[in-house]
Amino acid sequence: MVDNQPGVRKPILEVEQIHTFIGQFHILEGVSVQVPADDITVLLGRNGAGKTTTLKSILGLTPPRQGKVIFNGKEIQGYRSFDIASMGIGYVPEHRAIFRALSVAENLRIAERKKGDLDRKAEFIFGLFPDLKRLYKLPGNHLSGGQQQMLAVARALVADNKLLLIDEPSEGLAPVLIEQMMEAIRSLSATTTILLVEQNFIMASKLAKNYFILDDGKTVHSGKMADLVNDEELIHRYLGTAVIPSGEKRR
Amino acid sequence: MRANPPFRINSTPLIVTGIILVLLVIGYAWMGQGAFVRTTLSGLTIASLYFMIAAGLTLIFGLMDVLNFAQGGMFMVGAYLGWQFYTNPSFIFGIAPLIAALLCGLVTSRLLRPIVMNWRIPPAWQERLPGILTFMGLVVSFLAVWGLDVLKLSSTAMVAAALGYDPLSEIKPQEPLSIYGIRLAFLVLGGGIIALGSARPGDVTQVIHPKDRQRGWIITLALLVLAILLVVVRDPAPRLVLYMNGNLRFFLALFVGTLSGAGLGAVIEISLIRPLYIRPFYQILVTLGLAYVLREMIMLLWKPLAYQMSRPPMFAQPGEAANLVEWFLKGNSTIDILGVTFPTYRLFIILLGLIMIVVLGLTIGYSRLGMIIRAGVQDREMVEALGINVRQVFTIVFMIGAGLAALGGIGAAPYIPVEPNMGDAFQLQGFICVVIGGMGSFPGAAVGALLLGLARAFGDYLALKFNLSPAIAEASTVIIMAIVLLVRPAGLFGRKD
Repeated sequence: MVDNQPGVRKPILEVEQIHTFIGQFHILEGVSVQVPADDITVLLGRNGAGKTTTLKSILGLTPPRQGKVIFNGKEIQGYRSFDIASMGIGYVPEHRAIFRALSVAENLRIAERKKGDLDRKAEFIFGLFPDLKRLYKLPGNHLSGGQQQMLAVARALVADNKLLLIDEPSEGLAPVLIEQMMEAIRSLSATTTILLVEQNFIMASKLAKNYFILDDGKTVHSGKMADLVNDEELIHRYLGTAVIPSGEKRR
Repeated sequence: MRANPPFRINSTPLIVTGIILVLLVIGYAWMGQGAFVRTTLSGLTIASLYFMIAAGLTLIFGLMDVLNFAQGGMFMVGAYLGWQFYTNPSFIFGIAPLIAALLCGLVTSRLLRPIVMNWRIPPAWQERLPGILTFMGLVVSFLAVWGLDVLKLSSTAMVAAALGYDPLSEIKPQEPLSIYGIRLAFLVLGGGIIALGSARPGDVTQVIHPKDRQRGWIITLALLVLAILLVVVRDPAPRLVLYMNGNLRFFLALFVGTLSGAGLGAVIEISLIRPLYIRPFYQILVTLGLAYVLREMIMLLWKPLAYQMSRPPMFAQPGEAANLVEWFLKGNSTIDILGVTFPTYRLFIILLGLIMIVVLGLTIGYSRLGMIIRAGVQDREMVEALGINVRQVFTIVFMIGAGLAALGGIGAAPYIPVEPNMGDAFQLQGFICVVIGGMGSFPGAAVGALLLGLARAFGDYLALKFNLSPAIAEASTVIIMAIVLLVRPAGLFGRKD
C-alpha cells in the first residue's frame, strides 16, 4: 500500500486541542484529530469517551470553547453550524436520525444546497443504495432500521461535500446489512474524505486507514490502522469491551 | 430501539370524527333543520377565527418550542390596524414612512458586516459593543420620534367611528415636511447604529455570502425609495383610500392588517425571542408580557373603548339573498341557507378560514419551507447540520403565525367589537385548540378549532334553550380538553415520542 502517514499530506481537517462543554460538563478536554484527504479515518474509544461530541464540535453543534478546528485551511471554530455544513461537510448522526415525518424523497431533497443537487446525484446515490429507489415515495417512518441508516448516509451525499462525518453507521444493524454499509462507505471513500465513529472494531479495522483513540475526552493514541490491529495490549487498554464483533446494543 | 410497525394508523381522529358525526345527527334530529344549520354555521365562524390563532401557535411551538402567548395581541393589532386603514388611514400613512426609515437603517447590517467584522476590537469589547450600540440606536430612534403627535393621527378613525361619519371623516394634515424630514433622517441613523451592533464588529467568524452585499444594497435602497415614496403620498393617500371602492378598501385593509402583524412578528422574534432560545421559560414570560404591552399601547392610542367596524359594502346591502349568485350581484347582508337567514359576512369569515387551511396545508405539505418546518419539528439540530439557516426559518414561521393571527383579527373586526381585550378570549381558546389537537400538529390545530367552535355554538344554543348560564358554553371547551387529555395525553394528532 501507499505510504500514507498523517502529516505527509496536508490534512483536509485538523482538530487542535479542542475543549467542549455541554452545560457545565467538560466533555472534551483536549481532542486533536488530523484527517488526511481522501482516506477513511476512524475515531475509537469507549462509550462516553467523547467521539460523538467531537463530531458535533467540528460541526459547531456543540461549539468548542477552546482550540482550533481547521477545515480546508480555514479556521471554522465559532462559525454557525449551517455555515460550517455549507462549506462542504456532510453529517450522518447516530441513531439513524432521518426525518420520520418526511418521505424518502423529501429526506433527500431537503439536503439540497443548490437547486438540482438531487437530480445530479440521484444516479450515484441509487447506485450505492438501490433499495432507496424502490422506497422513494414512502414516509421515513415506514422504513426498517437498515433502510433508515442508508437514507441517513444518502442524505449526506446529496450536496457536494468534501468531508463526511459518519457516526456509528453499523449500530443495531444485522450482519448482512453491516456488510452492505461497509461496501457503501468504502466506495464513497474513493471520492470523499470520511471521518468515522465506529464501535464495531472489526468494521473499523477493515475500513479505516488511520485511527485516533479518545479516552475521557482526550486524544490518547493515533496511528495507522494496520499497526493497531496487531497491538492487542493497546486495544485492550483503551477499547476494552468495545471490541465485540457485531453491533451490540448500548444504553 | 423501538421498531416502527410498517403502518401505524392513528385511530383516534377516526373515533373522534365518528363521535362528532353521531352528535351532529342527534342534534339535527332533535333541534330541527333551522336551528341546527344556524348553530353549525355559527360554530364554523368561530372555529375559523380560532384556527387563525391556533395555526400560528402550533407552528411556532412545534418548530421552536415557544409558546407564543402574544398571538391574541397580534389578533388585536391586526384588527385595530385593519380597522384604522378601513375607517381613516391617516394614522397608518403618518407612521409608515417612519417605520420604513427605521427598517432602512436596520437592514444596512448586511452591508456593514463585511466591513466591521475585520475591525480589530478586543474580545471584551466585542461582547459589550452590540448591547451598547443597540441601546444608543434605540435612544436615537426614540429622540427621532419625540414630540410626534401620534394621538392626533390615531384619533381620526376614533372620531369617525364615534360620530357615525364612518367610514369617511375629515383628514387631518400630516406634520410639516421640515421637521418630519429630520425625524426620518434620525430614524435611519438610529436603525443604522443598531445594525452596526448586530453586525458584530470585530467578530471574524461570520460568513459573508457572495450575494449578501448585492442583496443588502437592493433591500436598503428599496426601503429608502419606499420611505421617500410614503412621505410623498402620506397626505393624499388617506383621501385616496377613503374615496376608493369600499370592497377594495376592505381587501387592502385585510392585507395591511396581515402585513403589520407579520412585520411585528418578525421584529418580536428577532429582538425579543431570539436572544432567549437558551432560556425557554423566559420566552413564555416575554410573550405574556408582550400581550400586556400591546394592549396598553392600543389603549394609549385609541382609548379603552370598543369600536364597531362597519362591514364592507358587498356584505352590507339590506335584504336577503336567495342564493350566492344573488348575493354576489347585490351584496346583501344576509343570505338564505337551507331556509336559515344567515349573515353573509360570517360566511366570508368561514371562507377565509378555509382558504387559510388550504394555503397553509399546501405550504407545509409541498413547499421547501414546509419540508424544513416538518423536519425541524422533529430534529432542528440535524436540519442545521444540513446547511440550513434554522434561525431564519424560525423568523419566517413566527411571521407567518403572527400574520395569520392578525388576519384573523381584521377578519373578525366587522363581526365582533374592536376593543383592547378582543384577543384574550381567542388566545385562550386557540391555546386549547392546540392542546386538543396536539402541540405542534397542524391538522390538530384545524381539528381542534373545528371541535371548539362547534362546541361553543351548540353550548350557547343549549344554554339558551334551557335557560342556563352562558358560562356552560365557555366551560364546554375546557371539558372537551380535559376529556381529550385523559384519553390521549399528547392530543389527537400529537406525537407520542
